[in-house]
Amino acid sequence: MRWSALSRSKTPQIDMTPMVDMAFLLVTFFLLATTFKTGEIVWVQMPRSVAGLNLPMTDLLTIYVDKDGRAYMSLTSPQARRAWLHEYGRVSQVAYTEEEYRAFETMSGFGVSSAQLRNLLQTPAEERKRFKQNGIPIKGDKNELAEWIILARVTIPRLRVAIKADANTPYQKVEDVIKTLTEINVLRFTLITQPKKLNDDAGY
Amino acid sequence: MLDIDEIPNGNRLRRLGRTREKAGITTDMNSMVDMAFLLLTFFMLSTTMYRPRGMELVMPVPDDEDTRTEEVQAVKASQALTLIAMPDHKLYYYRGLLEAAGIKPITYDKAGLRNFLQAFVQETDKPVVLIKPHPDCAFEDLVTLLDEMNINHINRYAIDRVSEQELARMRSAGFPVPNP
Repeated sequence: MRWSALSRSKTPQIDMTPMVDMAFLLVTFFLLATTFKTGEIVWVQMPRSVAGLNLPMTDLLTIYVDKDGRAYMSLTSPQARRAWLHEYGRVSQVAYTEEEYRAFETMSGFGVSSAQLRNLLQTPAEERKRFKQNGIPIKGDKNELAEWIILARVTIPRLRVAIKADANTPYQKVEDVIKTLTEINVLRFTLITQPKKLNDDAGY
Repeated sequence: MLDIDEIPNGNRLRRLGRTREKAGITTDMNSMVDMAFLLLTFFMLSTTMYRPRGMELVMPVPDDEDTRTEEVQAVKASQALTLIAMPDHKLYYYRGLLEAAGIKPITYDKAGLRNFLQAFVQETDKPVVLIKPHPDCAFEDLVTLLDEMNINHINRYAIDRVSEQELARMRSAGFPVPNP
């Protein structure tokens, strides 16, 4: 009886239920563990080091320095970014509109002077990528980078600061950023690197 | 595709070749598996597994005009090593005082810098390293030097500016020094 029933079905049948269970378990895991990749403001070729200090994903202020020495900043969470802009508006006496706040929340980072910030925020999201960001001024009459960092610290007391500079940036440009940090008493910060093995040699 | 075995021995269903001897409902899970794995693949690819990693840097309190002279720690010449990072991934060093020692070139690779630092750490009591990056040297070089400090367990190091005397000394020794 049994044999005849099996022989009659042409394709073997596999019970897929456990497989579905497992697949959905994994889907659930990834769904919860995912933080979606946000586009980085600027692409940076990180220098390599064996140092493996893991940085927190929250309360982190990253200062990008591209290879031409332009500085950009990004703060991890959208809520913190909103509060940050609010502080900035309060200090510089600019009342930002709700749309501008929302634009600032969605941007992972920015690299413009305070004079240009409004222009950037009012640019529609799809055109923002093409907006030429010339870096946050460090030298000049006002060190705007310092101002932003101070306000970020006001917003998040447990703020950690990291510098993500391009491997080929002239040291002078990074030094300007480091000097900015030490002048406002941020003496402990992290240089973001990509991992390398202990015995790897640089190619020079 | 839902098979309901209401009549286990029913002839009509038997003829379709799908009936099993089991009572109850069997669902075809294949499409569900397809979908689940599609979602799984999507989330796996879109997840950032990358977490930023880096090296911690602790800078000294910036110089104050009043405290400057008192705070400078005297370091014995025999304990000190100065590394000068120049543009184009060139590295130079001298030990002790500039007047007494000559500036020599060294390479960033393992055979050069790491072996040299290992020997330096071994023969020196409380070694102190001064890292002097030239303003135009690549940031990468500074990171490599700081990394070597950690690898060789040199706890006392400082980052300073390269001085005019050092540059003049290197120029006179025939090493390439960019003009300011």
